[in-house]
Amino acid sequence: MSLSALAVSARLRSTSRSRRAKDRALEVCAWASLIVALIPLVAISLFLVSQGIRSLSLEFLTSDPPGDLSATGGGIRNAVVGTLLMTGLATLIAVPTAIALAVFSREIGGRVATSVRFVVDVLAGLPSIVVGIFVYSLVVVATGHFSGFAGAIALAVIELPVIVVATDELLRLTDRRIDEGTRALGMLRWRSFLSVFIPTALSGIITGIMLAVSRAIGETAPLIFTALGNNFFTLDMNEPIQAMPLLIYRNALNSAFPAARDRAMGTALVLVLIVLAFNLLGRWIARRARPADQR
Amino acid sequence: MTTGPQAHAIRVLRRRPGLNQDGWFRLALRGVAILVVVPILWMMVDTFSVTVPVWERFGIPGFVTGLRWAPSFTIYGALPFIYGTLLTSAIAMLIAVPVAVLIALLITEILPPRIRSSVAVTVDLLAAIPSVVYGLWGLLVLVPFLRPFEQAVAGTVGKVVPFLAGPTPGPSYFAAGVVVSIMIVPIIAALSREVFAATPRLQREAVRALGGTRWDVIRTVVLPIGRSGVLAAVILGLARAIGETIAVTMVIGNAPKIGASIFSPGFTLASVIANEFNEANQELHPEALIALGLVLLVISVLVNGLAILVRQRFARGVGRVA
Repeated sequence: MSLSALAVSARLRSTSRSRRAKDRALEVCAWASLIVALIPLVAISLFLVSQGIRSLSLEFLTSDPPGDLSATGGGIRNAVVGTLLMTGLATLIAVPTAIALAVFSREIGGRVATSVRFVVDVLAGLPSIVVGIFVYSLVVVATGHFSGFAGAIALAVIELPVIVVATDELLRLTDRRIDEGTRALGMLRWRSFLSVFIPTALSGIITGIMLAVSRAIGETAPLIFTALGNNFFTLDMNEPIQAMPLLIYRNALNSAFPAARDRAMGTALVLVLIVLAFNLLGRWIARRARPADQR
Repeated sequence: MTTGPQAHAIRVLRRRPGLNQDGWFRLALRGVAILVVVPILWMMVDTFSVTVPVWERFGIPGFVTGLRWAPSFTIYGALPFIYGTLLTSAIAMLIAVPVAVLIALLITEILPPRIRSSVAVTVDLLAAIPSVVYGLWGLLVLVPFLRPFEQAVAGTVGKVVPFLAGPTPGPSYFAAGVVVSIMIVPIIAALSREVFAATPRLQREAVRALGGTRWDVIRTVVLPIGRSGVLAAVILGLARAIGETIAVTMVIGNAPKIGASIFSPGFTLASVIANEFNEANQELHPEALIALGLVLLVISVLVNGLAILVRQRFARGVGRVA
């Protein structure tokens, strides 16, 4: 073998060594990133379970908080009920509207649909606090007081784009042959949507709804401007009403008091469990609906 | 789509009396669309009209560049909060972007396919945790945990660079940036993952067949093709960082001035609104806070618009390659 060939092969070996080293370095960095990102997840879970579990009891869920943040005892019944009422009403408003908007932009098209699409895109990108301010100037200023209704409307505006995007994506995926089939059968368009397209897309739409709800339940910022929160139990949506995120926020700001601190952590544990339940349920439905080879 | 005889057939079918129901169906859809879009647009106009006294008094440039925020003297300037928003977002992006992109590469290129989706779901869980819970954890755990590090930096590099100087009270731009970085990692990672997974398989296999390592595949195929898609993911992450409210409010220290160091307490646009709104009773104070909300709105619409533009370019790019 000539000298120059030896040199070339040595250089090849060394480049391949350096390339292999880079490959290795990439793998190490990538694993390190995953670990760095998962440390907070583990830390938050441990923190919530270890600190929150002390406050958790049946009484915690079924009694109302003492009027004074620094006082011990009491529970978070008013916040749980307020969160359920507002999120429930928000979902009742958002789901049919969002599905109608998605069907609208699929079925009708044209300039109006483009502008609807644009408004939905803008909404999807808005910080939730800006949504809170909008609903404040529309509802709270107009009615003259904070209320659970205003809170529900704010949460509905937050849920809306999530559900529209999920529904739209699924309607887009509807097989063209199915569409042509319904047309060939002379089916009315509203019939094809109601009995064919939406049922086909249903599991995906439900997943979108679950993710939207899990996001709305945890929102704090928009409620500061709308529901405001209070310390009493109420079912009156026309009054200020408490929510779990608001309760965590207000108690955390007074975390110098051990009672407020414990209450915040107990509520955070309950809130995260509820949010995770919706989130994982949504993913599970999506996964089950997909064909087995794509799971 | 349909021309000639087909179009004629459709026209004939449409004339059937029963199809009138579809007229109602379309009318109802239009009704819903208008019922949603008009109030939302009106809400924006209405919000602007509330803030008119602020613009009249300070002018748009005067308000946006005003350095002082003193409600008791009826002086309102937005600059300290714009600065805080940009600084915390920049810190968050510096930490989150490399971590998130590497996680996306790990999931799509390195992990065995069997465990990819479970790792992806685990990372996604970070996005499910409510902002207020991040704030609570940040306030009680992360801020005290970061302090020794802050003190070490302030005590060494900070002696020379004022931007990293002490004192280090704990709640700060830096703490807020770290909390926000944790919150946007799952967003950037999930979007980048989709981008990487869309790279054409043939090209990857071609590089592997030539003896390329996974690093070569990433360097010559995955990153060049996914560049604008990842950029769009990063910009969407930035949009989230800019709008993040409650978690930031709880760890940024709430000081309405420009802090000299990243370890100083400050405020972002979103956090000053959340913090002061319920106690705003001075002249023009609520209006000025809502005006800050409009500044935030403009910034986030611009950033989101940029992301949409970049994503459209990415979609074209993939079409060309594939």
